[in-house]
Amino acid sequence: MFFKNVSTVVRRSGRLLNWTNHTCFIIPEYVNKKIVEKGTKKQKEQAWKNLILTEQLRGRRLVTGLMSSMFSVSNRLERTIFDAKNSENLPGTLVRREGEKAKGGKPVTEAYDYSGSTYSLFREIFDRNSIDTRGMKLDSTVHYGDDYNNAFWNGTQMVYGDGDGDIFQRFTKSIDVIGHELSHGVTQYEAALEYEGQAGALNESFSDVFGSLVKQYSLKQKVDKADWLIGSGLFTRKIRGSALRSMKEPGTAYDDPIIGKDPQPGHMKDYVETTDDNGGVHINSGIPNRAFYLIAKELGGYAWEKAGKIWYLTLTERLRERSDFQKAAESTFQVARNLYGEGSHEEDAVKQSWNLVGIKIKSKR
Amino acid sequence: MIIKVERSGGLVGLHTSTEIDAKDLPPQLITKARKIINAKISLLPRKAKPIGSADHYSFKISIHDSKRRKVFECTQYNIHDDLKSLVNYIEKNSKKVKLKDASFKP
Repeated sequence: MFFKNVSTVVRRSGRLLNWTNHTCFIIPEYVNKKIVEKGTKKQKEQAWKNLILTEQLRGRRLVTGLMSSMFSVSNRLERTIFDAKNSENLPGTLVRREGEKAKGGKPVTEAYDYSGSTYSLFREIFDRNSIDTRGMKLDSTVHYGDDYNNAFWNGTQMVYGDGDGDIFQRFTKSIDVIGHELSHGVTQYEAALEYEGQAGALNESFSDVFGSLVKQYSLKQKVDKADWLIGSGLFTRKIRGSALRSMKEPGTAYDDPIIGKDPQPGHMKDYVETTDDNGGVHINSGIPNRAFYLIAKELGGYAWEKAGKIWYLTLTERLRERSDFQKAAESTFQVARNLYGEGSHEEDAVKQSWNLVGIKIKSKR
Repeated sequence: MIIKVERSGGLVGLHTSTEIDAKDLPPQLITKARKIINAKISLLPRKAKPIGSADHYSFKISIHDSKRRKVFECTQYNIHDDLKSLVNYIEKNSKKVKLKDASFKP
């Protein structure tokens, strides 16, 4: 519907650089707003998506907030599970709708149940109505690909492979993985953190944080009882590892002759400069992951109540596409101060925890 | 002709590297590999990564013989169909065909 020339990636000295060129939109914003008001359901949905994208590209958040009252909102959880039948066609064959009895096997049931658990955390704790705040349907496809060792968020839905049975089991097995993938959707609609470098590592870390909180919330675990592992149980017994990542102790989740050793750092002194993995987004996420764990541990109780709240408000109100670790640290500090007061235990916990992972808060008391 | 497939990203962020001698491929894939290395134009369609997508795979595929070398960098969203056929076969059959320096590297 519109032309854009958003970003160009240039390789220089082995590093990927990314900048946003002048962005042009053929369809003016006021036209999309009118369509949201007066169009058919399908027209409204497309116009709404255009407005959100416009906001993200222009670094604004106000437009859709003001418009939300003009667009019909679903206030109920709506999940749909599809079966790709080991192809790579999406979404695949519909197997289960919201409210239907369990059927289709474990992957279908797990995708259904755990996306519901994720919805519940965001709704009950953060008062958020689904991924886009407007009751967006939660679509999941299972049995994607052949022996597919991955799960991903493609911008509109979650996708899960079955694993090859040698290294990985099915990717729906882990509630925090499902929470992780759905949280990428939340980030997409909020800070829209670029999937590159430190912004990308933050993107990954927020998904690990909320994925872990989904698990803890579903089990009603306090900080000291949580395992702080992401993807626990996904490896087969052939692999020497407990999980994909450890938020508590980055770098300790696995050490195996086939897949190697967990490369995550837990401190800025060990930050990994790489061009792999979009600049190490799954590697350097260990640093903000550990910062979150340390804050939650210091504050005690249920991690979603204070640490989770600080993190959620930071993601939804403070960060932008290219925010880096320093910005995230400063923002969480400011949010903690706003919520709990200057000089509060919570504010101090944030400052000390970031310091422990090598990031000094510069904001003054 | 040697084909090397490096994959990074995904939920786990693992880096994998698999190399194969083209003579160990099925005939139809050898033909595809030759077509790719002889191609004068870019094989990558102009399909952008979906906004907000995460945990997807990125690929670096190198094809070289004694005279030419071509390197393709792409994601799972814009990988050319011919390259995808090669990648799928090589990754799936890496244990069955002759390998050189195949290793998982985090």
